[in-house]
Amino acid sequence: MKTPHGGWTGKILRVDLTTRKISEASTFDYVPKFLGGRGLGAKICWDEVPPEVGAFDPENRLIFATGPLQGTLAPTSGRFMVLGKSPQSAPTESFCRSGVGGHWAPELKWAGYDALIIQGKSSNPVYLWITDQKAEILDATRLWGLDTYQTQQMIWKLHGNKTRVMVIGKAGENRSRIACILTDTGDASGQGGFGGVMGSKNLKAIAVRGTGTVNVARPKELMEITHHVQRLFARKSLQSNPYEPDEKGFKTNIWGGGYGRGSLSLLPGELLDLCHDPSSGYSQTPDGCFACPVSCRSRVKGTDVTSGVAFCAQSYMYLESMVHQPEKGYSKITWQAAKLGDLLGINAYELMAIIPWLSDCYREKLITEEDTGLPLNEIGSWNFITKLLHQIANREGFGDVLAEGGQRAAAKLGGKAEKLSRMYYPRAGKFAGFREHWVYLGGFPTGYAVPPLALMWALDNRDAMVSHSYISMLWGAAFAVGQNALTAVPEKIFPLLKPVMKAAYGSEEAAEFFRPDGKSLNWKWTAPVVKRYHEHSLLKDSYILCDILFPYLFNANSADHVGDVTLESRIYCAVTGMEMSPEESYSKGETLCTLERALAVRDGRRRQDDTLHDLYFEKEDAGGRKYRREDLERSKSEYYRLMGWDAKTGIPAKPTLQRLGLNEVAEGLEKRGLIGSSS
Amino acid sequence: MTTEVERRTVLKGFTLGLFGLGSVASLGSLLEVLTFPNGQKVALARGVILVDKSLCSGCRICEMVCANFNSGGRNSASLSRILLEKDYLRGDYQPKVCHQCADPPCLKACPVTALQVDRQKGTYARVIDERACIGCQKCVEACQQFFRPSRPRFDVQKHRTVKCHLCFGDPQCVKFCPLGVLRVERSERGLLVGYPVIKED
Repeated sequence: MKTPHGGWTGKILRVDLTTRKISEASTFDYVPKFLGGRGLGAKICWDEVPPEVGAFDPENRLIFATGPLQGTLAPTSGRFMVLGKSPQSAPTESFCRSGVGGHWAPELKWAGYDALIIQGKSSNPVYLWITDQKAEILDATRLWGLDTYQTQQMIWKLHGNKTRVMVIGKAGENRSRIACILTDTGDASGQGGFGGVMGSKNLKAIAVRGTGTVNVARPKELMEITHHVQRLFARKSLQSNPYEPDEKGFKTNIWGGGYGRGSLSLLPGELLDLCHDPSSGYSQTPDGCFACPVSCRSRVKGTDVTSGVAFCAQSYMYLESMVHQPEKGYSKITWQAAKLGDLLGINAYELMAIIPWLSDCYREKLITEEDTGLPLNEIGSWNFITKLLHQIANREGFGDVLAEGGQRAAAKLGGKAEKLSRMYYPRAGKFAGFREHWVYLGGFPTGYAVPPLALMWALDNRDAMVSHSYISMLWGAAFAVGQNALTAVPEKIFPLLKPVMKAAYGSEEAAEFFRPDGKSLNWKWTAPVVKRYHEHSLLKDSYILCDILFPYLFNANSADHVGDVTLESRIYCAVTGMEMSPEESYSKGETLCTLERALAVRDGRRRQDDTLHDLYFEKEDAGGRKYRREDLERSKSEYYRLMGWDAKTGIPAKPTLQRLGLNEVAEGLEKRGLIGSSS
Repeated sequence: MTTEVERRTVLKGFTLGLFGLGSVASLGSLLEVLTFPNGQKVALARGVILVDKSLCSGCRICEMVCANFNSGGRNSASLSRILLEKDYLRGDYQPKVCHQCADPPCLKACPVTALQVDRQKGTYARVIDERACIGCQKCVEACQQFFRPSRPRFDVQKHRTVKCHLCFGDPQCVKFCPLGVLRVERSERGLLVGYPVIKED
């Protein structure tokens, strides 16, 4: 196999913290078969993290994997993946991934590494310093206990402020299962709880600075496609004269915020008012991840608020404060709460389940202020959130229970408290523990049921983050017909979605997710759509591109609104100089999806774990329709059949694994008696 | 409402820039060619990149497109001729461009006259002739006395110094900047910009 001309740097760095041995391996042992990112990490986990290893065991691997596109001009290529056995997955610890944006990934590539594998456990607090082809394990005794901003400032003093740092806060140090790893002021690996894994290895931070290069095989082609993507996603001026910015009349299809405004601009209140007043000293400006033409995040500066960047999970973390102080709306407290979470290194998305769940439990008199030591009658206040976050980060009192994650805490309380938590943690079975994306699994905030989203939620190994781009499409279509988040009505968008779904999934009918009578949901196209969608997602997470923009399904600015699902592979071809036809890319996606499934299966996941709580089948959506369990089960069977997995158990069949070139996976499953040797 | 405010900010930034340049241009008509004590004449640049840093989102596309376009697909911030200096905690992002100085310290420092004025492309940008450059980094030192970080940059792999040459008249960073932070100012009479008008930034 000839070595690709561009993309990968060719080396994987392995750091054993127990023996303090640092070694290198060739990336080309894994790629291009496993591409990078999620595929690469899954393969490493398959080889090195058997089900017997617990998330906090020294043998667990903490993998930071970039893909072929990182460190180049490729649009939205600032991302990388953190992978390993997740402590947050509940009740069974299992393989999970977490994507991070920001500016850390290109530095790792420029330092000469495609991925970083951390194993073992240091006897004293350390941090890792990686620069141009070398790595060092350095003492971090004086960094231990500092918040995430302070730690980064100390490291910038030592290694220069061009160094990018992945760092854990108090929560990670105390092995919270909901601890994040933060970089810069707001980008974090949240879901999965990998901050706790980093803490369990006594690793405080990973500082990276690279001055090398990443080669692009076809630079001119990359520039052409980047310009094309910018024209699709960003300002209209790119369609006309680049020197005359003019954004009038341009419709964005970016989920969660208009182009160039930042996600916070959707949340009116005290803070935004201050930011709009030029004399106040506050400002809210769009902030971009590396090489991103969209810049959807908000960067907030102000005289008495913690400056920094936030995207939706952080911005929306403490909306209870808006209820508590309705006259202020989104206030300084809401912002400061999010930033306190970042400083302590707690996953904001998980707090979005824990806080409302505590509120529910308090209302039902299941917990009291005395037991918990929390001012529960003033949820939404600054007093409550500081106490809560510090308790969680330090594992004090009731915070010790909550630091285990909402679902584990609920299981510990049991009874009605556990039942109440199901509203926030939709997946039933042994592989759950991740919060839902707003009402009805995230299709419409107004609460409309969308069958493919239910299936995605049932099948994923974390929250169905993959559904982001699908939701971008639904929302983009809603915005295009003049609806907003509170007035969205699905019927109105079906005509827009028909050509879109025809182009992406081969059927106009797939656009109609309920039947013409409006009474029952249409599950007919759910399984094929989700299969293709998963293939796209795996590709996107392995090349690594943005969750929200790719796959590009819906174009808000063309007449027929048809997106372009080949963009990712075209970018990949330009960067690496390799070929990737659509068929090949789907087969690649299928391979990686099956590999992830095999990992989950090895950890004990079966068909019965791919399901949602009863609650989700009992409730009617805003249009009076229900998800029905038998429909979900039928779609699951069809999905397994399409993927070549056993429909009874959900285990990938041996011929499928062999067809996809995953022979070692087949052997591994066979050795554990999970697939028959004859089948 | 928001767009109005933003457009106003943009226009204000540009007007202020133009205002400054207005006086420059009038001076420029007198001083199209600067003469140095050693008798060397340097024609004024006819184009320059202007920055409105208040709009910058810090995405670094300018850096990547520069390296990709000018260094044969070797993507790296260390090879970019435009530099994005970012203070992440304070949220202060500053794209640092080559000012194509009226009295270029780099040009005067070059011992092998590899640094020249690009008359061929009509931009009159201060460019480095790659074939002549010996990689002594004298231009880097000269620039650093006034502008930090230095705008000419050292390409370690090729052992040559590289600097902004306005991409033959169509600067790619300007073309690709998604937020319109950068723009090109052009004048046939030449622009009196950079050193000695601005002595640091």
